[in-house]
Amino acid sequence: MQLLWQILVNGVLLGGLYALMALGLVLVWGVLNIVNLAHGALIMLGAYVCYYFFTGLGWDPFAALPVAMSLLFCLGYLIQRWVLNLVIRAPMFNSLLVTFGLEVVITYLAQLLFSADFRTVNPSYAGANFSFFGATVPWVRVLAFGVALALTFALWLFLDHTRIGRAIRATAQNLVAARLYGVNPRQLYALTFGIGAALAGAAGALYGVVSQINPYIGAGLTGKSFAIAIIGGLEKSLYVLVGGLFLGVVEALTALYIGPTYTDVVSFGILVLVLIVRPTGLLGRTA
Amino acid sequence: MKPALKFIFAALVVGGFATVPSWGSAVLVQFGINALILATLAQSWNIIGGYTGYPSFGNSVFYGLGGYGVAIALVQYQLPSAVGLILGVVLAVLFAFLLGLPVLRLRGHYFAIATLGLTEVMTAIVSNLDIAGRNVGLILPLAKGDTLFLELSLALLVVTTLAVAWISRSRFGFGLIAIRENEVAAAVMGVNTTLYKILAFALCAVFSALAGGIHAYWITYLDPGSAFDVSLNVRMIIMAVFGGPGTIFGPALGAFALAAISEILASKITSLASIFFGVVIVVAIIFMPRGVADLAQNFRRFGWRYFQENIKAHRV
Amino acid sequence: MKTRLLCALVTLLLSSKLSAAPIELGASVQLTGQFANTGRYYGDAYQFAVDKINAAGGVKVGNSREKLSLKILDSQSDVNLSVRQYVQLVSQDKINFLLGPFASDFALADSAISEKYNVPMIQGGGASDQIFSRGYKFIFGTLPPATDYFQSTIDLMSQLKPAPTTVALLYADDAFDVSVAEGTRKAVGKTPVKTVLDQRYSSKASDFNSMLSLIKNQNVDAILVAGHETEILNFIRQAKSLNVNPKMYSFTVGVPSADFRAALGSDANYAFGMTSWVPSPALKDEYFVNAEQFANEYKKRFGYEPDYHAASAVADVEAFVKAIESANSLDPVKVRDAIAKLDFDSLYGRIRFNTAGQINLPQTVVQIQKGKLVAIYGPKGLLEKPLYPMPDWGKR
Repeated sequence: MQLLWQILVNGVLLGGLYALMALGLVLVWGVLNIVNLAHGALIMLGAYVCYYFFTGLGWDPFAALPVAMSLLFCLGYLIQRWVLNLVIRAPMFNSLLVTFGLEVVITYLAQLLFSADFRTVNPSYAGANFSFFGATVPWVRVLAFGVALALTFALWLFLDHTRIGRAIRATAQNLVAARLYGVNPRQLYALTFGIGAALAGAAGALYGVVSQINPYIGAGLTGKSFAIAIIGGLEKSLYVLVGGLFLGVVEALTALYIGPTYTDVVSFGILVLVLIVRPTGLLGRTA
Repeated sequence: MKPALKFIFAALVVGGFATVPSWGSAVLVQFGINALILATLAQSWNIIGGYTGYPSFGNSVFYGLGGYGVAIALVQYQLPSAVGLILGVVLAVLFAFLLGLPVLRLRGHYFAIATLGLTEVMTAIVSNLDIAGRNVGLILPLAKGDTLFLELSLALLVVTTLAVAWISRSRFGFGLIAIRENEVAAAVMGVNTTLYKILAFALCAVFSALAGGIHAYWITYLDPGSAFDVSLNVRMIIMAVFGGPGTIFGPALGAFALAAISEILASKITSLASIFFGVVIVVAIIFMPRGVADLAQNFRRFGWRYFQENIKAHRV
Repeated sequence: MKTRLLCALVTLLLSSKLSAAPIELGASVQLTGQFANTGRYYGDAYQFAVDKINAAGGVKVGNSREKLSLKILDSQSDVNLSVRQYVQLVSQDKINFLLGPFASDFALADSAISEKYNVPMIQGGGASDQIFSRGYKFIFGTLPPATDYFQSTIDLMSQLKPAPTTVALLYADDAFDVSVAEGTRKAVGKTPVKTVLDQRYSSKASDFNSMLSLIKNQNVDAILVAGHETEILNFIRQAKSLNVNPKMYSFTVGVPSADFRAALGSDANYAFGMTSWVPSPALKDEYFVNAEQFANEYKKRFGYEPDYHAASAVADVEAFVKAIESANSLDPVKVRDAIAKLDFDSLYGRIRFNTAGQINLPQTVVQIQKGKLVAIYGPKGLLEKPLYPMPDWGKR
């Protein structure tokens, strides 16, 4: 019983991070209709920004998080403005292939720049933990969970309660509507992708604190993000959070009760099932 | 080019490939096998992706099942490889019917992600199957004689291309194109969309599985990671799109061109090969989104403005 | 378009043929891609050994001394590309002596090429028993058998006080680690130690929280992990954050590598591991004087410390040199027979292949103590006092 409780706690904490990973992907997909295969590579870059600020300048990883977000925002803005904007009205898998090409370029440039060495962001408090009704809870995971929650909430506030946010949401409905807000769509698109990349950067910074990083972690993280995006649906950032928590708990339970070689069977199996049964996500409106 | 000229050119290419073993080096034979298999894969993706408009990421499942059919038949039951090829095709077609039915109801990105998910699920399931050697993989008996593999994969590509040529002028093919252009309208016009889509899916299962079977027997090693490789599926799409999706020769042409580029890169400037390949993809999609076939047709008319027009047509 | 590209391909391939040197060695190594981290040891060490041997005058064949040359291709961590590159090396570049890639699954696939073309391959990157159990004649390996990796650790465990009574075995599902697990299961079975957990996990795993919680719940004394460096880094950090405190844990890879210790900092302490090679001055070598000197020069040249992968790679090159000299011929089949009869001392250890083509070297148990790698237990018994049991994470 105590083991089950511990596993549930692990799963929830992991799920928070998962949700943040998928948040940027969902935003870009939902608004721009771009399935970004380079999303995981952007997460990887965020992790490296955090790593270099931590080891090079001695910054606390949580202090480096806003830096990772800003840098990734700029990169994302440029990618959309000068690459993806050029193909956005082409058939849908053209943009998908372009993001695949970007993923390859980013990954291998990262290897050239950062080397293939495995890195960790290991602050002195990385092992600190506390007991919560008998379960051991690592502080860094709680902090990461808190940041994930805060950013999800912030994104919701931004999209629902600012003029620019409403313009972005209007774009998701239709392109002409965006012009009514008096915003240049080119910039609006770039801004949206930039925010998506910034969220990936934040996820990366937190990922580096709990896991090792190397230039090749991206592809796997993209896959995870897809699963979460599908489970939660593309409608609301809050749903992404639920999707992330769901996947985190399910994976933790699978590893324990079915076996750690079956987590991918279960998580991607759920992805396919949800798509078949409810393409709008578990929580989305029925089509 | 006139259609007759195209076929003459194609016949010359086939003749060229068929005689490679007599004049080319072993490396050229090997390059030939690899390029022919990739071309077959791009061509069969063309049926579901190019003609029907369903961007499948599940074709590497067919490819992998084809490989495992051969591997399991040879290693676990000591059956002849022909039986293995048939076993692989049966597995792949079964998969196409069983999962095609629900998955082909989805459209656009949702279909793409669902098939991507299926590929991941299959990788994970096979990694746990004893009969498939789990994640360790299976080592096939050594097969000497690359000439046989070259002829086999050449024959397969010819058959696949003939099938695509037939599709492009048959009632079935018009049905598929109608589905691509407007599925609802196609249904109104009396096309049995579900049946057509599943048949297209199953058809590309047959060819992809055969390609996978030949490749596994040739490389003599198979593990889930390389059998159900998602990036191989992405390459199929890129090759088809690069050559011209929804055309008869485009995908094969695109496959040959990209296979040659990546082969040269991999044997020369080795460490930058991958980056360069990524750049080629991005640039090609931006400047010639309808592929080489379209470029060849329209470049003479528009000149350099062709590229400009492409960007203008698709940018925001 | 297509024909022009083919022509370019052909000319490029032909042009590379002109610069053929007297004795060419060839390898396809993972210089980029997910295995690049360990793959680089092979690329660098092969080159280093070739340079050193050439500086010493080269290889004696007949009455003349021939220089070695080396052609390395980057397989981008793609097995299929690796296979094709070996075919290119053999049939296009006419290279008759192949050096191996890193990792067992690559060696498994690539050894089919050496067998197909009847050219010898000496590889120092694949230890899985499967590579050598197919009756192939042209594949030789300089890593000791995977099944024996944990043997010395298990021997050590019986001498520890208080000896661990329960053990958890975790292993990744690739060829090498499955072989390790098979051997370890047998070895543990011969001791009174009880295996309470025997768990295979996916090579893609990054989250070990469930397994660690289970281990903590069962209060396991010793944890043996056969996996990849990435997983082991995560495993240790997650063990710390979940406050899992076994008496000892040991890992098949990572512990001997410098970048592993750099990545974990003080959290790497107390981790046990194993190595078939320690850079000791007692290991004499014809070209590098001894293993210690090799390690120093290697670090100076490449900027990182070598581990057993690098030493094993050097031994592969030296084995070719010795075999060519003793066969007094460049005929691949004659050289193959000479390799099978080799028996010489190198900086890596004694090179003598068994009938299957693999060498056997004892695994020395190592432990990270205060950030330094310390040899603990070798074939002659205890070398240094192990830090055991390891202190709780809270008391370090």
